[in-house]
Amino acid sequence: MIGTLLLFFIFSALLITILRRGKLSTLEAAERALEQFAQVIPQLCVALLAAGFLAKLIPSALIANYLGPEAGWTGLLIASIAGPIVPAGPVLAFSIAALFERAGATPETLVAFITSWSLFTLHRVVTYELPLLGGSFLKLRLLSVGFLPIAAGLLAALIVRLV
Amino acid sequence: MIITTTIHTGTHTGTAIRMTDRNDPNSPNFEFWRHRRWWRAFFIAGFGPMFFVFLTLAILAGAAVWLVEGREIFWQALEDDLQILMDTVPRVMAAVGAAGIMWVLLPRDKISAMVGRNSGLIGLCLATVAGTVTPGGPTSAFALLAMIGAMGADRGTMVTYITAWATLGLQRILTWDIPMMGFDLSALRFVATLPLPVVAGLIARMLPIDLVLKAEIRLRDKM
Repeated sequence: MIGTLLLFFIFSALLITILRRGKLSTLEAAERALEQFAQVIPQLCVALLAAGFLAKLIPSALIANYLGPEAGWTGLLIASIAGPIVPAGPVLAFSIAALFERAGATPETLVAFITSWSLFTLHRVVTYELPLLGGSFLKLRLLSVGFLPIAAGLLAALIVRLV
Repeated sequence: MIITTTIHTGTHTGTAIRMTDRNDPNSPNFEFWRHRRWWRAFFIAGFGPMFFVFLTLAILAGAAVWLVEGREIFWQALEDDLQILMDTVPRVMAAVGAAGIMWVLLPRDKISAMVGRNSGLIGLCLATVAGTVTPGGPTSAFALLAMIGAMGADRGTMVTYITAWATLGLQRILTWDIPMMGFDLSALRFVATLPLPVVAGLIARMLPIDLVLKAEIRLRDKM
């Protein structure tokens, strides 16, 4: 609820700012937003539908078992490995994360999953990183950020217990 | 509705320069909404291969639910799905609008200049901030990364920048985390990840890298 309010507040504030900037900036933003809209909304609708049906097929006990409170360290590890395997953009990744959440995954495994996906998702590595920066940068990056999903998951677990 | 079908091609003297200007995709005055081909690219982008992959997946999964779990569970699942769609899609739409405006408002060249000039721990902290606020998708971020590299930033700064963009990027949090996962989990993920890009940058200050620049793909170019 707070997220929805925040989103519409930010959107309204930005809209007022851009309208005051003049016609040219507003139209540039509109073009940008429409481009994103086309690339996101139709996909999101069918991806959510697919994730919803898949949720009925995969017993939630199974997800809760591997990513729930009992899984502990193993849960973090499984979530970190599962992240980059999601072979597509945010549409599918977040549909799956929402599915995990409803099935009873803990906040820290969700943090590890999303962090791991955002860092290592295969399609971005193949489409952008390798062609733009090359294999040596990828190697350097993998070595430096490999620990991140687990570390983020552990920090999240710590915060959850402290707050 | 918005599409104007008749486009003058500058045969009238006097208005000729303006007309070609607004029909030129390379011009900042390009009026994209007047062009049928832009809207065609819009629909192709919307209903591209990934849409049909997900659609097929949805149909297969739906059919499997119908066969395995029965008709009642299927309708129940469809009802739940539509409820989630009604909850999520308007939020994502607002977020996409906000992201489009942010892309125009934030000074991207100033971001790269700021990061390129600073080194040390301060450089890593600035790179974290820059990665967090960089608008746009992977093409903008990786292009900015290459610019930062060209301006003389070290490897640690570059790794910190792209790591911060990937994990803390405000645009993704706004477009995806908050609409799909809620505010609490988004805030938790943000706080838990906040110190980590700097650590990654410190680790990265060891190995050599190569950089290649590439232009961003826009719908205008696909017309």
